[in-house]
Amino acid sequence: MTTVLDIAALRGGYGEVDILDGIDLTLAEGEILTVAGTNGAGKSTLAKAIVGLLPRVAGTLRVAGRDILSLPAHARAASGIGYVPQVANVFGALSILENLQVVAGVKDRKGRIDEMFGLFPLLGERRRARAGSLSGGERQQLAFARALMARPRLMVLDEPTAALSPAKVEDAFRLIARMPALGVSTLIVEQRARQSLAISHRGCILDGGRVALQGDAATLLADERAADLYLGRH
Amino acid sequence: MFYAQLVVNGLLQGLIVGLAALAITLVFGIGRFANAATGDAMTFGAYAALLGHGLTGSLAAAGLAAMAATAALSLGSYALVFRRLAGRSAVALLVASIGVGFAIRAGLGLGFGHGQQLFSVPLVRPIRLGEVIVNPFDLQLAAVAAVMLAAVFGLLHLTPIGRRMRAVADNRDLALVSGIRPERVMVALWLLVGAVTGIAGMMLGMKTVVSPDLGWEMLLPAFAATILGGIGSPLGALLAGLLLGVAQELSTPFVGFTYKLAISFVVLLAVLLVRPRGLFGRIEGVR
Repeated sequence: MTTVLDIAALRGGYGEVDILDGIDLTLAEGEILTVAGTNGAGKSTLAKAIVGLLPRVAGTLRVAGRDILSLPAHARAASGIGYVPQVANVFGALSILENLQVVAGVKDRKGRIDEMFGLFPLLGERRRARAGSLSGGERQQLAFARALMARPRLMVLDEPTAALSPAKVEDAFRLIARMPALGVSTLIVEQRARQSLAISHRGCILDGGRVALQGDAATLLADERAADLYLGRH
Repeated sequence: MFYAQLVVNGLLQGLIVGLAALAITLVFGIGRFANAATGDAMTFGAYAALLGHGLTGSLAAAGLAAMAATAALSLGSYALVFRRLAGRSAVALLVASIGVGFAIRAGLGLGFGHGQQLFSVPLVRPIRLGEVIVNPFDLQLAAVAAVMLAAVFGLLHLTPIGRRMRAVADNRDLALVSGIRPERVMVALWLLVGAVTGIAGMMLGMKTVVSPDLGWEMLLPAFAATILGGIGSPLGALLAGLLLGVAQELSTPFVGFTYKLAISFVVLLAVLLVRPRGLFGRIEGVR
């Protein structure tokens, strides 16, 4: 199976101190990988490092075999990375339609927007609505649609269920589970680790900026040490 | 009727303030700093219009000259100064913009002298609307401003580059991860801001006299309108400019011509104390 994401000895942070302390992980084509860990373990920092929003980063970072470490964020997006941030994940002052129109590097933009409205019918019905006026669930759908616009090979999701009501969390995980069928490999940073691992092929647990445990999602869910230290029992 | 006349006069003054505030708010929204060189760039536009008008006698040619020359100046100031300071604090960029303003003013003083120059505009019979007198030339200027504003809002809302400019203003990081190239957006921004500033400068120069200090005095009302309208809100900047222009004119019988500028100070202080986000500004999220 082709490797979509290859990370080796990745270090980096916002200031002088490294938050990522030598991360090694891979993501194969069509896979969903959950990155879990306690608060401050470096999960969101890892997501930012991959998409190009971390100011200081070193090591190896390849997407589909291409070294992207030196590329700026906009060029990484063009190289096939979609990103849904934890907060501020839509352009609130723009309409739903404009949120999709602004994405760069989209071939057959009109057709792709129609595809997104097919995937998320609610967005199509409210296409002129200001994104800032949407509910949490609608906003999350728009964030996914925006990130999918440029047909990414890799999606990086930073706590995609954090701002959702409990009723909408299941919807979000169902949507993420569809990503392989859309041809998108997915890395999810998630606090709801058990639910996320349940829809993932593999998982990895960060601790202190390093990979503490990784393996098949089912194996991790059954792992006593993982349950005790990171995942909880429920 | 006296006050109706002041309102009419204030509306044209307000269009000038509104255009200047629009330029400031666009740079603030996308470039993330208060551009204190805006007033001096307006002066540059006034001189460019003076040359264009002197050569052709046409208001349209004067406007095109003001827009083209000030857009080039604006892009040059970005390429030579502001681009190199990208990532620095807003205060560093503000101070740099003050320096750019001084350089423009000094350059204009060297090039054109410090004397006052006038647009040679033919005398025309004013239009009487009851007791209110309207100068047809002012109507032409208002039409130029209206076309400029329609072009700016059309560009921002109906074109791909305009939407990307609004996206960068809304959320710069999200714009980057959406593949938007910041360099292209900044070039478009500075060209647009230069064109707007040039037209504002031409209008101001035609309403008063052109000298190297022309735009400097406009800076405070423009900043006041930017804050009143809500920093980063183009529509707010325009409406606040109109409001401020009318308020200044209406205050003239009470405070005199010399002190009407003080109205801007009062508005600035009142807005900062009572409603810091202005009329149309958004409440910034705090994490």
